[in-house]
Parts: sequence; C-alpha cells; structure tokens
Amino acid sequence: MIGETDIHGVFIPTLLVLGIGAFFITLVLQVILRRLHFYRFVWHAGLFDTALFVVILWAVALVTLPASSSGVGP
Amino acid sequence: MHITGRNLAFVLANTIAVIVALYIAFASNLERPYWAMFTVFIVAKPITGAVRSKGAFRFLGTVAGAAMALLLVPPLVHAPVLLCLATSLWIGLCLYLSLQDRRPRSYAFLLAGYTAAIVGLAVVNSPNTIFDTSVARVEEISLGLVCAAVAHSVFFPQNVLEELTGRIDRTLRRCGTWIADALLARQSIDLETQEQLAGLVSDLHVLYEHVVFETSDVPRNASVMQALQDRLALILPRVSSVQAAFAALSTAGSVSPSTVQAMEATSRWARAFPGANGAPRSDVETMLDAALAQLPAESESSSEWTSLVQRTIATQLRALVAELSEAARLAVALKDAGGTPAVATPLGPPSRRALPRDRGLALLSAFAATAATLIACALWIEGSWPEGAAAAEFAAIGCSLFATLDNPSKVLFGVVVGILLALPVAAVYEFAIFPKIDGFPSLALVLAPMVLLFSWMQTSERLEGMALVLAIGFSGGLALQSSYQPDFASFVNSNTAEVVGLLIAVVANLLFRTIDPVWNALRISKSGWYAVAHLAQRPTSDIRDWTLQMFDRLGLVTQRLVSAKRQDLFGRRIDGLRDLRVGMNLATLQRSSDALPPAARKSITSVESAVSEAYRGLIQGESLTHRDSARSIDQVIAAFAAQGRTQTVEDGVTALVGLRLDLTVLGSRYLPQPLNL
Repeated sequence: MIGETDIHGVFIPTLLVLGIGAFFITLVLQVILRRLHFYRFVWHAGLFDTALFVVILWAVALVTLPASSSGVGP
Repeated sequence: MHITGRNLAFVLANTIAVIVALYIAFASNLERPYWAMFTVFIVAKPITGAVRSKGAFRFLGTVAGAAMALLLVPPLVHAPVLLCLATSLWIGLCLYLSLQDRRPRSYAFLLAGYTAAIVGLAVVNSPNTIFDTSVARVEEISLGLVCAAVAHSVFFPQNVLEELTGRIDRTLRRCGTWIADALLARQSIDLETQEQLAGLVSDLHVLYEHVVFETSDVPRNASVMQALQDRLALILPRVSSVQAAFAALSTAGSVSPSTVQAMEATSRWARAFPGANGAPRSDVETMLDAALAQLPAESESSSEWTSLVQRTIATQLRALVAELSEAARLAVALKDAGGTPAVATPLGPPSRRALPRDRGLALLSAFAATAATLIACALWIEGSWPEGAAAAEFAAIGCSLFATLDNPSKVLFGVVVGILLALPVAAVYEFAIFPKIDGFPSLALVLAPMVLLFSWMQTSERLEGMALVLAIGFSGGLALQSSYQPDFASFVNSNTAEVVGLLIAVVANLLFRTIDPVWNALRISKSGWYAVAHLAQRPTSDIRDWTLQMFDRLGLVTQRLVSAKRQDLFGRRIDGLRDLRVGMNLATLQRSSDALPPAARKSITSVESAVSEAYRGLIQGESLTHRDSARSIDQVIAAFAAQGRTQTVEDGVTALVGLRLDLTVLGSRYLPQPLNL
C-alpha cells in the first residue's frame, strides 16, 4: 500500500493525489500532442489517452515515492 | 430500436462501466455504492464527448453542492426552519443561474443546487456525519463518472463532430432543395426548414462545447464553427429578401426576362447543390455567373424603382450563392485538423457568444423549485415524518431537471409513473433474489439483465428518458450497500417519500410553471422586436451575435407554434425572417454609409429612427407598415443612387430597398426627393 497523504488534517489516499497530478500532466501533454498533429498517427485516440494517463501515473509514482516503500516500479 | 454495431458497443461499454463501478465501490467499502451505479446511467450518452463533459460538470456541481452543505448544516442544524429556508433558496439560486445558459455547463449549477439538499438534508439527524457523507457523495459520483468516461472512450467511441457534420450536410442539402423551390414556385415559407436550420444553428452553439471534451483526435475549430453559424443564419433571410423583392416587381408588373433568368439559374444551381460532401457542378456555376452578371447591367444608369429592385435581387442572389458555398466549405473544415477554409473574410479567434436569456421564466422556475422544496420541508418538520428529507430532495431534483420545458409537470408525472414501475422490480430483487446470492460475481450476474436492458433502452432516442428514470428508480430502490439488510418497512417508507417529493414538484410546476407555448412564442417574438428597435437606435456594422440571437428566437417561436398547430399566427406580426432581414439591412446600411458624402450621412439616422419607431409601434400592437417610413428611406435611396456604382453603393441600395419593402405597404410609390444639403 502506498499510504495516505495529510493535507491540513484531512487524510487522502496518496494514489488519489498522484492520480489527480497525473491527470493534469496528461491534459497538458494532450494539448501539446494535438498542436503537433500527433494524433494523425494514432489509431484509437480514446485508448491512447487512457494508456497515456496510466503511463504518466506510473512515472509520477516512480519519481515521487521512495523506491523502498512503494510497491510500484522495478 | 435497431440492432447496430454502435448500439451494441454502447450497451457493452455501459454494462461494463456499471459493473466495474459497483465492484470498485464494494471493494473499497464505500458507503452507498448505488450512487456510483446510477451516476453511470446518468452520464451515459452515445457520444463520448457528451459523456465526458457531463461527467466533468457533474463532478464540479457535486463538489460545489457538497461544499455548500458543509457550510450550511453545522451552524443551522438546530434551527430546522432556517436550514430548510437556506437550502431551498440555494436551490432556487442555482436553478436560476443554470437557466441563464443552455450549454452543457449549466448542468454544474443544477447539481450544485440539489446536491446541497441531498447531502445536507439527509444528515440532519446525525450532523456529525456531514463531512463523511459529503466526501462519500463526491467519491461515489466521481467513481461512477470516471468508469463511464473511460468505458465510453475506450470501447468504440463516437464523436460529436461526426453527428454534427452529418446533420449539417443533411440540412444544407435540404436548404438547397428548398431554395430551388422557393425561387421558382415563390413558395413563401417552409416552416420545417426554418425550424430545422434554426435548431441546427442553436445546437451548434450548445453541442460544440462537447468537442472540448472529446478524445484528442477530434479537431477543435471553434472559430470555424462560429463562421459556419454566421453563414447558416443568413441563408433564410437572404432567400426571403429575394422573394420580397420579386413580389414587389410582380405587383408593379415589370418583371424583366433577365430577372426571371437569374432566379431560374440560381434555382438550378441550388438544386444541384451537393451539400457539404460533394463537388459543385461547373456547368451550372458558369450559367449562374452569366445570368447574375446580366441583371445589374440591364438596369444600368436608371434610378427607377423597378431597376433598383432588380439591382437588389442581383446583389442578394450573389450573396446567397456565396454564403451557401462558404457554409459547405466550412462544414468540411470543421472536421479537418489545422485546415484553413477558403472563405472571403478571414476567421478571427472565437468570440464569446450567448443565446438569448429568458430571465422572467428562469425566475419563475427558481421560485417553483424553492416553493416545492419548502412545501416538502414543511410536511417533514410539521408532520414529524422521518423520511421527509427524501421528499424534499426529490422535490428539488424534480423541479430542477425539467425547468427548461414549457410544461414540466407533464414530464414529471411520467417520471413518477416510471419510478412506480421500477420499484416492484427492485422489490423482487431486494426480497426474493438477494437473499439467495452471495458475493460480488453472483450479484453482477443477477444485475446484468436489468443493466443490459436499461442500457439498451438508452440507445433509443424515444426511450432514453424513460430508461434513465427506470435505472434511477431501480438503483435507488435497491439502495445496494456492502451488507445485505432486508427491511421491507424502510423500503416502502423511503420510496414513498421519493414519490411524494416528485408529486409535490408536479403540483408546484402545475401551479407556477405551466405556460401556454403560444403565449410564450408571442413573448419571445416580442423580445425579438425589442432587439430590432434597440439595434436601430444603436447601429453597429457587426451584428453576428445579434443575428445568432434572433435566429435562435426564430427557432424557438417556430417550434412552439408548429407543435401547437398555430401556423396561422405567422405572417403580418410574427415573422422572424423579416426581423432578421431588417437587422441585416440596418447593419449593411451602417457599413455602406462611408460611400455617401458627409452631409448626406446624417440622413441615415432618420432611417434608423424610422425603423426603431416602426418596431416600437409593432410592440404596441400596430402593424409594422402603420407609420410612414417611406419618405425618409426614399431620400437616402436617392442619395445612394446619385453616387457612382461601387460595391459599397450597391450594398447600400440593396439594404435600403430591403428596408423599404419590409416597412412600407406593398406597392407604395417611390418618390425620391433630393436632399436639402
């Protein structure tokens, strides 16, 4: 388990915090990719967007959590 | 209901979303998994962008409503009357705000209103749980909508542009046929085409908001969409201008062969018009160009009334052809990422636009919602009725959801019937099936037939509303929780409270919010006349927003009068196309005023005040041609006719002839008097 984050006395699952962060990063990335007309090469944009979010979430978790305490990552 | 791949994909995606949402809710021990379950049904739409935008606005609204409940309940929990008053006023305020905008974002305001009631009123007996309940509501709603959004974007998504461009293409082709008939047979107005086109222009405004929420491969071209709206809104007034001018020529008995030829060539061109997805035929185009070129040439150097009208016809036909072709090009560009369409005026950045608001009706709806909630609260407090809170919640929900309709009580009554149908099914599940099952897989299995059925009903336009009511009634009736606690008494009590709440909403809407569609159509027309009078007093050359609003009013009026079978009311007084023509001509006049010598420019003001006077007279019940505006218009026509023939002068003449045709009695004599400079 990743545990909970304390925001002014309110405990929120850390995964949720990471998820929200990853969501906004994905949004920004999507805007950039759209500007570059990247989606011409994508077969299924809905699937791609979802997969992109999962990858970003994994990356964010990998960066922010210490390797010893987290269950994610290599 | 047809079995198509699209429908099957929707049903599949929706069922998966419901089951997954339920599974996650149970697995993480959430308080009321059924909230997540019916959220999936509520946001489910056949179009991915619509699911995602509804989800986003539902989330925002829920957060705002839960926050409001957190703010209201702790200080007011010991003063129930004040708490009820505050909650009902908040619901009224939110409903009023949501009715100010017809775009999907208004849903957030609705939710903010009644979520406060759902969260706040449910916990008055145990106020210390308010925080947990608020969080649970937000969590479960978010869970449901995330599941729905992911499922509907991954399994065979449908984007809103596909739907819109299909509709644009159909409407454009229909317009072509109608124009062809209108120019030949002088068929005056085809209300169906009017309604269809006006509906499309307003829907472009409303539905385009979904595009922002679409999957990333859907191009975002808001400025192309607005340019398309502008073109589409001009087509009908243009055709009707030509018709009016032609009628004037016929009355004068001086229809020249070349006029007929130009009309016929345009008609042929319009009949061959390929819509948005085809190439125009070049032979028809050349013929059209030749016919249009001949028309003004014939009326050279004459300032007779008939030749002025001929010049008008030529200018309007040319503009019509240009606008229709541009509309087709823009419709193609709408689907095209990064393409710039070939149109005469370059596209600017998208502007902020709004459809007309109806403040009076919004206020009335808000009042009805507040009243219904207060009545339910009064029953709850005075009658010491333990489930009264649920009645108040449902009174608020019922009043909010259908506030856009002319007659909400009829639909609300249908909702009551739907819930009464769903409850026995829920009872069978609750008391006959659930005792026999154990664990999530078997629960999913027994729920699947119902979920499949409701999702299947949602794919049909006709059954969509009923499906939603049944799904909500069913999920609410089951009230699935982590442990099974069968309690027949509480099942009956809480569901009776729901139905009573909805019935209170029915009564409140019957009393305060039932309006005659014909009367409402007259009201909307009148607000349009005010808009024309206002425009005449403060003329501008850019009336695109004004046109959009007028065109929307035209659609609302036509739709109401046609469905009430009162076509006879169209004509002398109610004529949205005439109002649009007058506005267009005022703006053109303003643009062409530069062509006049400075001393003559002042005379335009007298035309504008004549228009404003005429419309004020119309509002007071006079006919539009009652005041004599001919003299002031004739003066300015003479001033324009004295100038050299440039495009600007031609436009000015066209605008003035158009105004004269609309504001004076047909066949009144044109008496140009030189300006006293």
